[in-house]
Amino acid sequence: MNRIAAVAINTFRESARERILVVAAVFGAVLMGATVFLSPLAVGARQKIVMDVGLAAISIIGVLSAVFLGGTLVHKEIDRKAIYLVLSRPVSRPAYLVGKLAGVVLAVSLIFAVMTAVLAAALVLGDAALRPAVFAAVYLSLLETAVVASIVVFFSTFTTPMLTSFFALCCVAAGSLSNDLRVFAEKFGGAGTRAAANAFYYLLPNLKVFNLRHEAVHDLPFRVGDLALATAYAAVYVAAVLCFACLVFRRREFA
Amino acid sequence: MNAIDANGVKKSFRGGMSLAKREVLRGVTLDARPGEILGFLGSNGAGKTTTIKIVLGLIRADEGTAELFGHPAGSKEAALRTGYLPEMPYFYPHLTLGEFLEFCGRLSGVPPRLLAERIGRVVETVDLSPHRDLRLKTFSKGMLQRAGLAQAILHDPDLLVLDEPFSGLDPIGRRLVRDVLVDLRARGKTIFFSSHILPDMEALCDRVSIIRDGIIAKTLGLDELMRLGEGRIEITARGVRMGTLAPLHEYVSAAADRGDETFIVVRERRFVRPVIEHLYGRGADVLAVAGVRRSLEDIFMQEIARPAVPGGAEASNADRPRDPAVFAGF
Repeated sequence: MNRIAAVAINTFRESARERILVVAAVFGAVLMGATVFLSPLAVGARQKIVMDVGLAAISIIGVLSAVFLGGTLVHKEIDRKAIYLVLSRPVSRPAYLVGKLAGVVLAVSLIFAVMTAVLAAALVLGDAALRPAVFAAVYLSLLETAVVASIVVFFSTFTTPMLTSFFALCCVAAGSLSNDLRVFAEKFGGAGTRAAANAFYYLLPNLKVFNLRHEAVHDLPFRVGDLALATAYAAVYVAAVLCFACLVFRRREFA
Repeated sequence: MNAIDANGVKKSFRGGMSLAKREVLRGVTLDARPGEILGFLGSNGAGKTTTIKIVLGLIRADEGTAELFGHPAGSKEAALRTGYLPEMPYFYPHLTLGEFLEFCGRLSGVPPRLLAERIGRVVETVDLSPHRDLRLKTFSKGMLQRAGLAQAILHDPDLLVLDEPFSGLDPIGRRLVRDVLVDLRARGKTIFFSSHILPDMEALCDRVSIIRDGIIAKTLGLDELMRLGEGRIEITARGVRMGTLAPLHEYVSAAADRGDETFIVVRERRFVRPVIEHLYGRGADVLAVAGVRRSLEDIFMQEIARPAVPGGAEASNADRPRDPAVFAGF
């Protein structure tokens, strides 16, 4: 556990000192700040606009940060042979991957914290109530980012940063649509299409379960049970992806 | 129990897009005994770094076994007792030296209560105390190499595996690293290191294994190194006329004129006296008689000129090298 924490803290330190993290945080903050000035254009829906754009920005920037940070961090360590220093020590390969993932998630959490603070400030300054649903939506976005980060770590164990980012973004796009595709196939597809849609549905992450933005923006009720279910889903999905990553990484040679 | 035991290790790699495998190690067998410094010598591409990576469990052998203190290479038990300095190491540039060593110490399982004291000690050992709070990206190549040595000895391992530890060091840094290694040996640690800087290897090692084309061509102990180091005897003479040396062809292996002086290489020590007497008898003047020791470099160059024989067959001493710069042949 101590060794996982050491890898995670080192990854966090490295990420936190990367320019991309600062750029992402600043970009997110500016984006949310801009909505404050543009929202008067939408008469009567000012706070909804701020909240909608803010939560969407947190989700998108979080996912993109995880993709670009995670994709380069693991590969860079292998490419520059820094991994020799780690794996020649009593650190198992699974522990290394778990530490890397934890470090990336920690770093992205930092962006989340900055952007959530800016969003909260924008809402408070606009005399809007800070509803629990806003924080629940941010929490689910963080879970979504952790799932995406695990996919990034999986691809980074065997391919280049560019392909890692590409594959991960494809998974994000497909994961956002997998439920719709399945429903569509159930209604209109043949047996083969239904089987394929089902396979995609179970294989790809169902990212819709991490989307509570609609409820937060329109002040709709949400169930705490759904949050627990989403948490459990994220934990199981991340664990499964990490298992596959470990299987690949165990065979990897650092020549 | 040996610190390192590698038996018949073979390894092939697929090169780039090619499906054909290139055999890098063809059955490496070597051992490092507890408390000794074992040098690992070989030209570029001979298989030194691949052997080291297999010993550390970073890559797997296709055939053969590698054990450290009786534990399989790459096992937790083996890793706990091993310190490693990679060749041309990349250290996290965003970390300060102190942060880097803290990271390494935690990975090696150094108890937190001991970590600060250990870091202070190793930083002092490698003479980097004033730079402890500086980021590694500001370090020179030599400082990085010393930082690498610090991380390798931080957890007080029983075995140190060092890949080119003298690379990038200035003479002061080389001296410092040599002193550290000698001190570690005195404390009973085993050191296995590769280097291209042969004088350092010659000065430090108890034994030297020479790898060539993926097999251990020869392993030399200190005694054997001394014996093989007994080199030629040179006589410097003046007034040697043409034809003077002709009757000495059984005693002299080479000779060359430089100005009015002649350098004569005597085949064996027992021939020195008859050669000198002959020279005086022909009116020549003997200016100097000197024994020239063969360096490890001479032995290495001789060894890599031979065909590679699996199993480290002993080579004959008949073909001792000549120095073409001075001796033009007899």
